[in-house]
Amino acid sequence: MDILYLLIPLTAVLVLGILGVFAWAVHHGQFDDLEQHGAQILETDDTRLDRYQSR
Amino acid sequence: MSSTALDDPLELDEFTRWEKADGGGRVAESSLRIGGMHCAACAGTIEHALRQVHGVLEARVSASAQCATVRWDASLTRASALARAIEQAGYQAAPDTAAAARAMRQAEARTALWRLFVAAFCAMQVMMLATPAYVSAPGELAPDLKRLLDWGGWLLSLPVLCFSAQPFFAGAWRALRLRRIGMDVPVALGIAVAFIASSGAAFDPGGRFGSEVYFDSLTMFISFLLGGRFLEMRARHRAEVSLEDATARLPQTVMRLDADGAVEMVSAKRLRVGDLVRVPVGQAFAADGSLIDGATRADESLLTGESRPVAKGPGDNVVAGSLNLQSPVVMRVERSGGDTRYEAIVALMRAARSQRPEMLASADRWAAPFLWAVLLLAATSAALWSVVDPSRVVWVLVSVLIVTCPCALSLAAPSALLAAAGALGRSGVLLRRLDALQGLATMQVLFVDKTGTLTEGRLRCVEALPLAPMSAAEAGRLQGIAASLAAWSTHPLSTALREAAAPAASSWREVHEEAGQGLEAVDADGARWRLGSAAWTGAPATSGTRSARAWLARDGIVLLGFSFDERLREGAAEAVRALQADGVELRLLSGDGKAQAQAVAAALGLVSAAGDLTPDDKLAAVRAEQQRGRIVAMLGDGINDGPVLARADVSLAMGEGALVARSQADGVLVSNRLGDIVQARALAKRSLRIVRQNFAWAALYNATCVPLALAGWLPPWAAGLGMASSSLVVVMNSLRLAR
Repeated sequence: MDILYLLIPLTAVLVLGILGVFAWAVHHGQFDDLEQHGAQILETDDTRLDRYQSR
Repeated sequence: MSSTALDDPLELDEFTRWEKADGGGRVAESSLRIGGMHCAACAGTIEHALRQVHGVLEARVSASAQCATVRWDASLTRASALARAIEQAGYQAAPDTAAAARAMRQAEARTALWRLFVAAFCAMQVMMLATPAYVSAPGELAPDLKRLLDWGGWLLSLPVLCFSAQPFFAGAWRALRLRRIGMDVPVALGIAVAFIASSGAAFDPGGRFGSEVYFDSLTMFISFLLGGRFLEMRARHRAEVSLEDATARLPQTVMRLDADGAVEMVSAKRLRVGDLVRVPVGQAFAADGSLIDGATRADESLLTGESRPVAKGPGDNVVAGSLNLQSPVVMRVERSGGDTRYEAIVALMRAARSQRPEMLASADRWAAPFLWAVLLLAATSAALWSVVDPSRVVWVLVSVLIVTCPCALSLAAPSALLAAAGALGRSGVLLRRLDALQGLATMQVLFVDKTGTLTEGRLRCVEALPLAPMSAAEAGRLQGIAASLAAWSTHPLSTALREAAAPAASSWREVHEEAGQGLEAVDADGARWRLGSAAWTGAPATSGTRSARAWLARDGIVLLGFSFDERLREGAAEAVRALQADGVELRLLSGDGKAQAQAVAAALGLVSAAGDLTPDDKLAAVRAEQQRGRIVAMLGDGINDGPVLARADVSLAMGEGALVARSQADGVLVSNRLGDIVQARALAKRSLRIVRQNFAWAALYNATCVPLALAGWLPPWAAGLGMASSSLVVVMNSLRLAR
């Protein structure tokens, strides 16, 4: 069970890493409007869905 | 926005209404949105901070709507000083316009989600690290491995404590600094005690804090609380968005027509009375006015709750904020800016949102003693348990501090009343005071005004009375001629004649109207017709035509008399019957003649009708009923109803009524439908029932859980779950009203 002495600190580091990723997602508006993008396909106007689409 | 930009006049007008003060100065009433509020006690803190500013006359803060209404003297202070005072008290302030509010809402939602995620995710990991201690047999877990697991739990609790729990600590600190007590105080105390004791146990096992750690309970408790607050915040944001949709309906720019017919794009704020505006399909009317050109259908659902589009032709009135649905039209502006019915309604909605009903104020008063009792209980239980079983002192102390929930008590009334007021607003009854709900539900006598309330302001032609014997067809032909002649006049009697019969196709010459007397014209055959009063037409006063008020004469010979009657509002009879069946005694109070009042009362099935009343007589009638100990409601519309509306326990005004009546009344029937009052009463009764349920639930919850926690049967994580869910149950129960 000596591996636990490595895995537990590793868990802690991994958790902090995941928190960092989530922080980026929240603060870039990924969760601001969860319904809007699902409904967008039904709209008739041809605005680009995101800024990379026209490439 | 920097706070000095608030002083720019154009910016200021976005969230401020101006009034003339007695001394000739100007008094401003500003709406500010407050960020960073968590509980009902915060409202008192901010009000206190605002009142300290020199020049502030009145400050009202609504905890449930998170906005402040401040009346201030423009010669003594500035808007930026108000914002600074709020910021110094530890909150954020922004002008109450949609854009700033939306940005604030987005920031709040992001921060709340981020805090919740950190707490919930870390709580899961801490729980995983805590599991071995729960499942292992005594002695099975090596001491150094146990210390490593405790260390891991401590490390993962740190972000929860330092970041996620920060609102609780900030709230508690704010409360302590102002020497008040808020619900954050026991929560923050519980968190701090649990963390310090667990850290001591983790780094110094067997020391003065024992060797038990509570990191799992602590993090789970914080995430439950944050989860509850997150759901509350979402519900509040939805309510705010729907209100903003209603208030942000006016177009920013409009197409104004010049004298020569050229179109110019101008700001809607620059519209003046008399301007001609072209309104394209899909745009909202920017001001109150009448159609000049074109026919269309308008969606007035925002203002009246009536979802069917209303047909509008030339001459018809349109209301600011309603949508043009069918074809482009031209309108003439009659009222613009702050004078429009739309703005009056928006101001009403703001006022209702930011004032605090009596029921809520009493809940706030209980909260402080309740919290002191909690702290006292917790201290006593800690003292007792330190004698009985010192190893469980921390555990019990934390549970007691956490499980008690004054927030369920303080949310019980306002959440239900606000939800009910929102639902009423959508169906066309706007409440200016939330207390009106209680009055509506308990009213015993309802006084109603006649003209303009039970009846429309217009007249109806009921009968054509021939002066000489003639066939029905001949009478109908003459009525058509009268209708076609009446089309030349705008007198109320002419309007009624026009509506009563299809106008005959006649070409009139030499049409002439004598004000107050009648019309005269020559037809294609050269016959001279007169339509008007008895004196104008020379009608004899015979008994058969005594009720007639207008006559038609050809070449000096009177042929027909017309009698008129007031038109009852649509649905008035049904509404009266429904209210009577509901146990409300209805009484008619009218300034008109006794005979007319009794005729209307008979048509509606009312027992009591009083005519020829002065405003003082009406007031005396209301006071007499109140002295008999009955709850009196008043429904009126006119200027003369103003004092009576103010005197009654609960008062409603018709949306078409005079401004004085609307500003004195507790609520406005925007749609002018009497049936709405029946629905409003049903909803008010339901909302009182739900308030009672909420109070019962909150009291039952505290009465059950506090003894359990004192007895040591409630672990901290269960206490956190209980506290969060008790608030949620109250809010969800209230939201049933909004559907």
